[in-house]
Amino acid sequence: MIPVRCFTCGKVISTVWDEFKERKAAGEDPKEILDSLGLERYCCRRMLLSHKEIIDELYPYQ
Amino acid sequence: MEIVFGRLDDSIARFTLSGASEAFANALRRSMIGEVPTLAIEDVRIYDNTSVLFDEMLAHRIGMIPIKTDLSRFVRREACKCEGAGCPHCQVTFTLTVEGPGMVTSGDLVSEDPMTVPVDTNIPLVKLWEDQKLVIEAVAYLNTGTEHAKWQSTIACGYKQYPVIEVTDQCDGCGMCVDECPRNVLEVKGQTVRVVEGKIEACSLCKLCEKACIGTGIGEDSAINIDSDRTKYLFIVESDGSIPAQQIIEEGLRYIRKRSDEIIESLQEISMEGQ
Repeated sequence: MIPVRCFTCGKVISTVWDEFKERKAAGEDPKEILDSLGLERYCCRRMLLSHKEIIDELYPYQ
Repeated sequence: MEIVFGRLDDSIARFTLSGASEAFANALRRSMIGEVPTLAIEDVRIYDNTSVLFDEMLAHRIGMIPIKTDLSRFVRREACKCEGAGCPHCQVTFTLTVEGPGMVTSGDLVSEDPMTVPVDTNIPLVKLWEDQKLVIEAVAYLNTGTEHAKWQSTIACGYKQYPVIEVTDQCDGCGMCVDECPRNVLEVKGQTVRVVEGKIEACSLCKLCEKACIGTGIGEDSAINIDSDRTKYLFIVESDGSIPAQQIIEEGLRYIRKRSDEIIESLQEISMEGQ
């Protein structure tokens, strides 16, 4: 699961993860997406850029 | 001491504090970050958790959710008249009961107080599959950022000294400093360089323009000088949504006043003892 807040500044970033994921899959430039989502600081931007969702892989091992 | 707001809305405040010392500016910054109380979920009782996340992880995620806080209605647990028993003045209980499949979000938290709800309703907490279930009771308390970052109502909260940019007569308007400036603060006007109108606050005092100017072979001294005003500070206060930015500033200042009064009181007590 995407962390609820940015590790460094504490801004809630998990709310925009779904939109980021969809728009990135549609082939949009991550820079443009992050700018339009209002993530100004590089600490918040790296939270989304470097995230790997693994919850679907955990499911068989509950 | 004077405060002039450049921007003020519920989420962000930008202002200049003039006629203050660096020590005061830092005291204000620290009290806004660490001493303005807000509500956050502290105790979590897990009745059922068959999701793929561990109880601790789930509790941590729930704790990080910012909660709208009306400071006039709540007191800290230690200061409450109920003496730790728990009452509507010092705590708010949330319940969460969700069955899979689907995404559990902060909007699924049902508050006992209709005014005290999560700031965002679409914070994902955990993904549930078929036959998975969550039954949770969570209690939010008032506390400050010095105890844990989840009680910190500010996101980005900081200040910088107000930039002072001076261009001497030596400037020939070559534009090297304009190209070098990462914040596009400067422009060439005629035979000299000047600050773009309204952009001075964007200057980060990096002094790359000074280096570029010396690099052109102008001599020992740069024709552009970057200095900072040691009595004027540019603040940015960003709220996580639990408390409006303006109230964070007011509460921060109130805390400084309260602590200063305490020092005066204890100093008076000491001097009375000596007599």
